[in-house]
Amino acid sequence: MIELPVLPSTIPADSTPRKRFWRSVQHLEGDPAYDAFTQSELMPSAQGSPSESNRRQFLQIMGASMALAGLTACRKPIEHIMPFARKPEDLIPGIPLHYATGTDFRGALRPLVVESTDGRPTKIEGNPEHPESNGSSGIFEQASLLALYDPDRSQAVLRQGDGSTWADFVRFVSERNPGRVGVVLQPTSSPTAERLVTALLAGRPGSRAVVYDHTLAVTDGRRVRYHFDRARVILSLGHDFLGSTDADHLHNSATFAMGRRVDDGAVMSRLYAVEAGYTITGGMADHRLALKPSEIPAFGAAIARRLGVAAGGSAFDDHPWVSAIADDLRAAGSAAVVTAQRTEAAASVADAINAALGSVAIERFDAGALGRTIGLPDLAAFVREVAAGQYDTLVLLGANPVYDLPASLDFAGAMAKVAETVHVGLHVDETAAKAGWHVPQTHFLEAWGDGRSFAGTLSVAQPLIAPLYDAAHSAIEVLALLAGSVEQAGYDLVRETWRPVLTGDFEKGWRKVIHDGFLPGSGFAPAAATPSAPIMVPEPASGLEVLVAADPTVFDGSFANLSWLQELPDPVTKVTWDNVAAMSPATASALGVGTLLDAGIHYADRISITVEGATVDLPVWPVPGMAADTIQVNLGFGRQIATTRPERTSPFWDTDSKTDIYGKGAVSTGVGVAVSSLRSVAGFALSGATVTKSGSGYLVATTQDHGALPDEGAEAMGRGLFRMATVDEYRGNPEFVRAGDPRIIQEEWADYPALWQSRHPSDEPAIKESPYFRNQWGMVFDLNACTGCNACTIACQAENNIQVVGKDQVSRGREMSWIRLDRYFVGDGASGSPQMVVQPLPCQHCENAPCESVCPVAATVHSADGTNQMVYNRCIGTRYCANNCPYKVRRFNFYNWTKTLPESLHLGHNPNVTVRNRGVMEKCSFCIQRVREVNKRVNVENRSIRDGEVVTACQQACPAGAITFGDLNDTESAVSKAKRNPRRYELLAELNVKPRTSYLGRIRNPNPQLEAGA
Amino acid sequence: MSTETHHTSAVHPLDDPPLFGRDLSFHEVTELVAGHTEKKTPTAWFGAFALANAGLLLLFAMIAYLFWNGTGVWGLNNPVGWGFAIVNFVFWVGIGHAGTLISAILFLFRQQWRTAINRSAEAMTIFAVMCALIFPGIHVGRVWVAYWMLPIPNQMEMWPQFKSPLLWDVFAVSTYFTVSLVFWYIGMVPDLATMRDRATTGLRRKVLGALSLGWTGANRHWRNYEKTYLLLAALATPLVLSVHSVVSFDFAVSIVPGWHTTIFPPYFVAGAIFSGFAMVVTLLVISRRIYHLENIITIGHLEKMNIIILLTGTMVGFAYITEFFIAWYSGSKYEQYAFLNRAFGPYAWAYWTMMFCNLIFPQFFWFKKLRRSIPFMFVVSITTNIGMWFERFVITVVSLHRDYLPSSWDYYTPTWVDILTFVGSFGLFFTLFLLFLRFAPMVAIAEVKYVMPKADPHFYEGHGDGHAGEAAPELAKATTHTS
Repeated sequence: MIELPVLPSTIPADSTPRKRFWRSVQHLEGDPAYDAFTQSELMPSAQGSPSESNRRQFLQIMGASMALAGLTACRKPIEHIMPFARKPEDLIPGIPLHYATGTDFRGALRPLVVESTDGRPTKIEGNPEHPESNGSSGIFEQASLLALYDPDRSQAVLRQGDGSTWADFVRFVSERNPGRVGVVLQPTSSPTAERLVTALLAGRPGSRAVVYDHTLAVTDGRRVRYHFDRARVILSLGHDFLGSTDADHLHNSATFAMGRRVDDGAVMSRLYAVEAGYTITGGMADHRLALKPSEIPAFGAAIARRLGVAAGGSAFDDHPWVSAIADDLRAAGSAAVVTAQRTEAAASVADAINAALGSVAIERFDAGALGRTIGLPDLAAFVREVAAGQYDTLVLLGANPVYDLPASLDFAGAMAKVAETVHVGLHVDETAAKAGWHVPQTHFLEAWGDGRSFAGTLSVAQPLIAPLYDAAHSAIEVLALLAGSVEQAGYDLVRETWRPVLTGDFEKGWRKVIHDGFLPGSGFAPAAATPSAPIMVPEPASGLEVLVAADPTVFDGSFANLSWLQELPDPVTKVTWDNVAAMSPATASALGVGTLLDAGIHYADRISITVEGATVDLPVWPVPGMAADTIQVNLGFGRQIATTRPERTSPFWDTDSKTDIYGKGAVSTGVGVAVSSLRSVAGFALSGATVTKSGSGYLVATTQDHGALPDEGAEAMGRGLFRMATVDEYRGNPEFVRAGDPRIIQEEWADYPALWQSRHPSDEPAIKESPYFRNQWGMVFDLNACTGCNACTIACQAENNIQVVGKDQVSRGREMSWIRLDRYFVGDGASGSPQMVVQPLPCQHCENAPCESVCPVAATVHSADGTNQMVYNRCIGTRYCANNCPYKVRRFNFYNWTKTLPESLHLGHNPNVTVRNRGVMEKCSFCIQRVREVNKRVNVENRSIRDGEVVTACQQACPAGAITFGDLNDTESAVSKAKRNPRRYELLAELNVKPRTSYLGRIRNPNPQLEAGA
Repeated sequence: MSTETHHTSAVHPLDDPPLFGRDLSFHEVTELVAGHTEKKTPTAWFGAFALANAGLLLLFAMIAYLFWNGTGVWGLNNPVGWGFAIVNFVFWVGIGHAGTLISAILFLFRQQWRTAINRSAEAMTIFAVMCALIFPGIHVGRVWVAYWMLPIPNQMEMWPQFKSPLLWDVFAVSTYFTVSLVFWYIGMVPDLATMRDRATTGLRRKVLGALSLGWTGANRHWRNYEKTYLLLAALATPLVLSVHSVVSFDFAVSIVPGWHTTIFPPYFVAGAIFSGFAMVVTLLVISRRIYHLENIITIGHLEKMNIIILLTGTMVGFAYITEFFIAWYSGSKYEQYAFLNRAFGPYAWAYWTMMFCNLIFPQFFWFKKLRRSIPFMFVVSITTNIGMWFERFVITVVSLHRDYLPSSWDYYTPTWVDILTFVGSFGLFFTLFLLFLRFAPMVAIAEVKYVMPKADPHFYEGHGDGHAGEAAPELAKATTHTS
């Protein structure tokens, strides 16, 4: 404020002795009262207000009142910030803590480390210290974070579908003699569960525990672990060992990637894949043969015969691939391995060949009682027992047989014959709706548990948060209640199991196990190979076959309510929010069905598939390279989950009800078709299917293939986007990727000036003087290692609060994923057997970023450490940057996706990443929040960043180690070394955008014998 | 004042063929033009105005729907970040080229036939630019902060990013709009004064009096007026060329195949003149008929415009072919794919619509009979604007939908909101244009007069005392006099 000089209140003494003019006697005499009078503006009677406040006070008070009144109109809600009256130990608000825990997947524990921010679990990652984990994790563990906050989770105990309480349930259990108990559960590795099931069954004659999984096939508990890094030749007989649904896919991906190393003269393995559908394992194969499901064991048997193993039949003996593969296997000797699904007929072939070759790439374990599953005939017998009233109490722990089992078994009808059924589950699902009692199950992050990893290492799974819903209890707590009629806490139950396990001081050992997340040296003892049974392979069937598979994104349906996974594109078909009847284009045209591509959207015909009386109706999806006369259908869709959330309705001018995926019942409601009813026989392959066209014009939402499919692959290869060579070509010319560089002009790209080169931001003093300038971040993707398992996409989604947009918006091309997997089919046309290649694509962080110069408001800028940053609160949403991005990695918030997000899902957001509003652009940030976290740490510790200290979310999740990230200024960093790899190239380098992200060209290792013939 | 003559170099030489159909008197010109604003409003005008207003309301409704819900109500997707909004913007800016070109450039080139059409063409320009300016404002994702594109001092000390062509657009289009508006208004002052002098009601006299800025027709007024007009014409001339050049930079400065083209500035300007003239023809063919101005806006004038349409249409057609040649000659497979995809890809229908409308149809104007045929020129003027709209669609959408990475290729389909917003923008345009027809002098009365034969000081030589008298020499044929 400008201070004006105030007039003196008295007239300064004049040098002249007398004033010449005066107004009054007082003036003349210099009376101070007169001076005061002349200084005041108004007559005394008019001065001041009755309340005696002056003008200034009045204005001050009015100003303050206006400001206060105005403040209440501000948009931001008032939030009360209150201190922890008693601060929990170790907790510093805003600083996340990490806890070791684990979760069961297909009867094997996946060791995890979970980040907890201010008491809320916010990110799940693999436990890097666990002997069987390199810190990687698959899509299901990553997405299980969302399961914790799933708004459709069951929240209350239900009695005949009506609200009840846990206390009522406890009273009910304690007052009733359960009689003969039938327990149905999914495979679990928990020793506590095993102990309690045994206790429940003990002393109750006629009781029985039944374990089954989505395969509906017998597994005898024998587990095979493959060490693909020890193998030179690998043959997969229909085994998608790299796919997300495989119980050991993290280990498989890691060891396979090791075996595929070519740099520094390493010997690269060769993979033959024989499969019916198209899987990512087939995509990684050097040779892929598409055969009908029933032909695969016979094909394996032919190879076995060629290797001198006794096997019946004579099919495929003259197939050219048989001799080639057999010769290769024989030549590799003990460094060869054959894999097959444990539930398939092919497994016996694989075992026999591995035994004959003495494969060193195999380890065997016995997974114990609860790892054994029963097959469909036994299940059918059990259901008959249930229906016959042989059980007084039926306990369903996390199992959903009404959905899983074939409709012909009529499990729901059988359940009705049991006096009391108790269902424990995360959702009020198909089975819960029929059960007498439903107890909401705790999420694994809410309850104590334990388990054993694939190779048997024991872990305690500790909770990170109190159950979100008071009624929720864990399966072991319910088991203990049923077994002992007394309520026991999960903590005590697990400790009781562990008392005999831990030697020495129990408390000390317990604390160490909880801290580390595992008990070292507790793996399964290796099991001897079971003597090779005589190989019995069924004759190949004729006619159409149906291959039933667990879905690579929602598994068997237990993850179906997770919107991240529903929107995750299938790694091969790129279909989201649906399951489809996949078949080869030739089969589709033979059946007279197909898809219609109209305005970039696929409208599929629908077919009715009938197998032995059971029918499902699915949209058709042609997949190049699938086996002829084979239809693949995926489990896990068509769920019916009850939810208490009201349906969203909005007025006609509001699109909320159209864009809200949570607005019409549970997320999985109405998504896809349940296909488990088809399975009247065990296993995955069903023969004797009949197909009729039942409709057309069904919209299928994909994230790719908005144009004609073969063109895209050919165009991508022609443009040098994906570069690959055979291993021989690579040895001859290690820099083969250079041949893919388009030559449009003759200058060196580096010397060719860009439009704004002369005033590039990196030359600005503000950047050069920044402490961040010391590190220049870069990333390298090894296309030779990446399998396309999608783990990076989900990890990124969890880390960066990426929103889900729903089927309608995906079909409009508005999916939000920051890192996507571009899949191209290469060669051989759509009808033949094309190869599939996968390329992960996040923001390339161009040094000459074309997005930056076109933004009118400077909302996307370069950071001092060389990343391209989005300033969300500056973005006005012109979308010019996205148009000018040659990689199309920028994602626009077309709507306010979080406006309709249920409250519970907000809890899972990463507080270090801004949740984006409607109308702003977003994209990969190289996990800048993680970089800054490390910046802060090294600043406090006064040191420089170590290589590998900053790990991006995608890099951390990647089981194959395909992603390298680090500081390019450090010449010895892993990323700098990777950049010196001769296979390194940049995507669209000729545009001179200078991407910070590089790719290492893929190497194939084909068998010369087959290559010549092909 | 209607009988004043002016010594100006723009006077039509007496031995040239006359510019106007019948040899009108000065008074008749005034009557013809000013009379329309003074008579009782015809019912048909109300009908048309109601229709235009419905369109305007539709525009407001669509904008409200958009603001409430978000950009998702449009058909945009990930590769196609710009759709109808930007297409419409360029389309309307393009149309807004004809007016200032006619008034300024043709003025400087002393094309006297322009006087019949310049006023309405300028009005069309201003209204078209107003339609255009709506779209960049509403197309951003967060409209509530769209003003960040303007260089307004603020507490964040953030300036717009001056490297962005979108920002250049903001300056180019707003400058063009301001200068066009001033130019239009200054040119209208003598006519407004004429209407003021004829006004019969007090309100009309007051409003027109205020708008005519105290014009008395004094010699000093005319001198200042003509100097101002000349200077403004000189100022507007480079803007005609610059504004669409800058608009084309939105595309040319990017790296999208099909956008990144140095030919764009001249090609866009030619296209803009092409579409602007077509729009003028469309409007004048109707209004000259309704307002009985056939003698002022003669078939000869329309023919001259058709010649310009033929010229500019051929220029844009040449540009289309050049683009193809350069795509092949560049050796860049992305460019080559982009252009093949235009002609034979999923949007081939849009491309061939554009080719036929812009390159083929105007070629019929080589025939004098066709370029003097009112129905034919009306049809071609419509197809030209369809073609030019599709040109912008082809450039904007078809280039974006398939660029570098085939994995990201997609297809753009406009939603009903896209389409109705575009329809609504015509509502705004015609609302404004109908108001103009009703309340403003739609032909530059003064300018028409000083290119009439009677404005020539030698016109009355040999006829009495050189003054208009009882003999009404105005009725004599201009062609019978020689100087």
